[in-house]
Amino acid sequence: MFFLLALGSLVIQPERSFAEGNTDSTSTAVESKLALNYLCGADTVTLTATLGIKKGDATLALKNAWVELTASNGTICKLLGKAKTDQEGNAVIKAASSGLPADKDGMVAFSAKFAGNAKYPAAEASFKAKPAKIRLFFSIEDSLRILKVTATEKNEKGEEIAIPKEKVLIYIPRLFSLLKIGEIALDEQGTGTMEFPKEIVGDTLGNLMVVAKIEENDKFGFVQGQNIINWGVHKQYYKAEVPSRELWTPIAPLWMIITLIVMLAGVWAHYIYAVYELVMIRRLSKKDKPLF
Amino acid sequence: MDPQQKNPLRDFAPQLERTSIQGYAWIAFLLGVIGLGFYAFMDQVLNGHIVTGMRDNVVWGVYIVNFIFFMGVSYAGALISGTLHLFKTAWRKPVIRMAEFITVISLLIGPCFILLCIGRLDRLPYLILFGRIQSPITWDVIAISTDIFGCFIFLYLAILRDLATLRDYELLQLPKWRKKIYKTLALGYTGTPEQQERLNRATDIMATMVIAIAIIVYSVLAWIFSVTLQPGWHSTIFGPYFVIAAVYSGSAVLIISMWVFRKVYHLEEYITKKHFVSVGVIMLVLAAFFGYFTFSDYLTKWYGSEKNDELLIQLLFKKFYWPFIISNYVGVLLPLIVVGIARFRTIRNITLTAVVVVIALWLNRYIIVVPTLESPYLPIQDARPEWLNYSATWVEWSLTATGVAVFCLLFTLASKFITIVPVSGIEGEGKKEDVLI
Repeated sequence: MFFLLALGSLVIQPERSFAEGNTDSTSTAVESKLALNYLCGADTVTLTATLGIKKGDATLALKNAWVELTASNGTICKLLGKAKTDQEGNAVIKAASSGLPADKDGMVAFSAKFAGNAKYPAAEASFKAKPAKIRLFFSIEDSLRILKVTATEKNEKGEEIAIPKEKVLIYIPRLFSLLKIGEIALDEQGTGTMEFPKEIVGDTLGNLMVVAKIEENDKFGFVQGQNIINWGVHKQYYKAEVPSRELWTPIAPLWMIITLIVMLAGVWAHYIYAVYELVMIRRLSKKDKPLF
Repeated sequence: MDPQQKNPLRDFAPQLERTSIQGYAWIAFLLGVIGLGFYAFMDQVLNGHIVTGMRDNVVWGVYIVNFIFFMGVSYAGALISGTLHLFKTAWRKPVIRMAEFITVISLLIGPCFILLCIGRLDRLPYLILFGRIQSPITWDVIAISTDIFGCFIFLYLAILRDLATLRDYELLQLPKWRKKIYKTLALGYTGTPEQQERLNRATDIMATMVIAIAIIVYSVLAWIFSVTLQPGWHSTIFGPYFVIAAVYSGSAVLIISMWVFRKVYHLEEYITKKHFVSVGVIMLVLAAFFGYFTFSDYLTKWYGSEKNDELLIQLLFKKFYWPFIISNYVGVLLPLIVVGIARFRTIRNITLTAVVVVIALWLNRYIIVVPTLESPYLPIQDARPEWLNYSATWVEWSLTATGVAVFCLLFTLASKFITIVPVSGIEGEGKKEDVLI
């Protein structure tokens, strides 16, 4: 068994740690489900098409499938690219927000298409939104830390104009998700402010990534802007004064080392003694008589 | 004097000299199971651990359960054989060799399941190269490797007299190469007073060591669980609880081995009801201890009413209801009834009880490992149901069966190499009682 495992360790390939292309192999009737998510950043739009296969009550992600993403204004259709779905069934494409074909209202129709194959039927999804931009500015006024947010869209001449009366949500990225720290209501000039909290922990230099979002807007969809500011509380890494049990400490506690050495030395000394006795039995054999 | 009449080996010669057709069929069957395991293993190596039921949440499954089980059986063998030897228990001889074999064979199989559990076997050398003394995993690696050496030395010391007996018994019809192996391994032992004194001293020392090491090593294994803050694992009594569970399962495996070898090699004269009852009483006492530790562990968890402990206990009484009942009720009460009440105390009943105890103790390890991982402190986000719940796949079951098959195969081969009952204590018909008592 040791041999088999040793053999396995030689032939194992890190890249093969998980199955490749191990999609649903059943041939029963299935339905393809495609969803399209849109996020408009400062200069780019991010399109995420999620492809799943519905079989009975269960929906499974389909990986390694090609999805085609396009942008259109009704007359011109621009291919943004093709992307392969990952383990989660997501195919992601980032495209420059400038140069997208827009209709007279500035709206862009994004669509995702899975052509289908012998096993899985084709599927399509679409989303219509007008690209917009959120900017974040930081200032200190009367010892108060102020976050100012502006949101703009482009008119038919390509000039930036303010987005009035929209709600912008403010977040800080944390370990698992975004931590919401406030909301800003934009005024007629597409501008809003809030006092920035003082207690948020940043990195060791106090840097914080601040994210501002317009979410689920009928016209703009999801728009996001972000900026970095060193207004966070400086993160203090715990530094043990004496070696402790943590694996990242340079050396184990002294008591642990001593205990281990004493125990191992004690045990192995007895082993050596037992082997010594065997050697002595061997040496004594020359003058011995047979048992039978 | 006619050596054929005088030598006790005559009763055991057939098991060493010949293998019946049924014996070959049995070995072929075991090799077939091992072949299936090899196929499953290659599937796992080529396609990764996705072919197992282990996922992000439940990262340990039946491989770890098997690891704990086999290691437990091994330590039990060491504890039983070491204790019987040290206390010079009168009835020990017919069973002590089996306990020694169980120790070494289980010890070879158990760690293989850890290797099967590791996703990146190519990183295995890092355990040695970058091992941290602060890590319980490193403690376990050191402890198990130390234990393997100790158990091999103890086994060797225990069989040395028989190796010499086999070397010197000329009527034994064995190939020359086997005779040569016996001669080499016997180290020229002829049983002189000085040799005996040295051998006894070394054996006594190693018997003491294997008992101490078995307790420490299995406690280390328990600490891997209990030093974490996971519900169900973070328990101060896990060390002794694991040791008791180990000896308990090992005593049951010993009874099953006694029954099998008694039947196969017709050792009814040597392994009698007295031996079954004696080991059965050990099993009974351990069942009581095991029940006490189990009750104590779950009572404090239940009474403490910590949120995650409560969730775990709910899970045990719902999803894992039958494994929990078989493990902690049937597995405890059955030996108390069967061995405790004289009317039920037959060889067959004791053996069947031992089979139930082995199953119960395997399930006990399962409900220690899996339900806790299915109720973690930090739930993973956007998890699919199959990531949250564990269900072993055919690959894991095949490799589990392979572990059992390798155990049986090595036990069978060991019994073909050296007598399953020590014969060196018998020098003639008149001294057969040495073994029979």
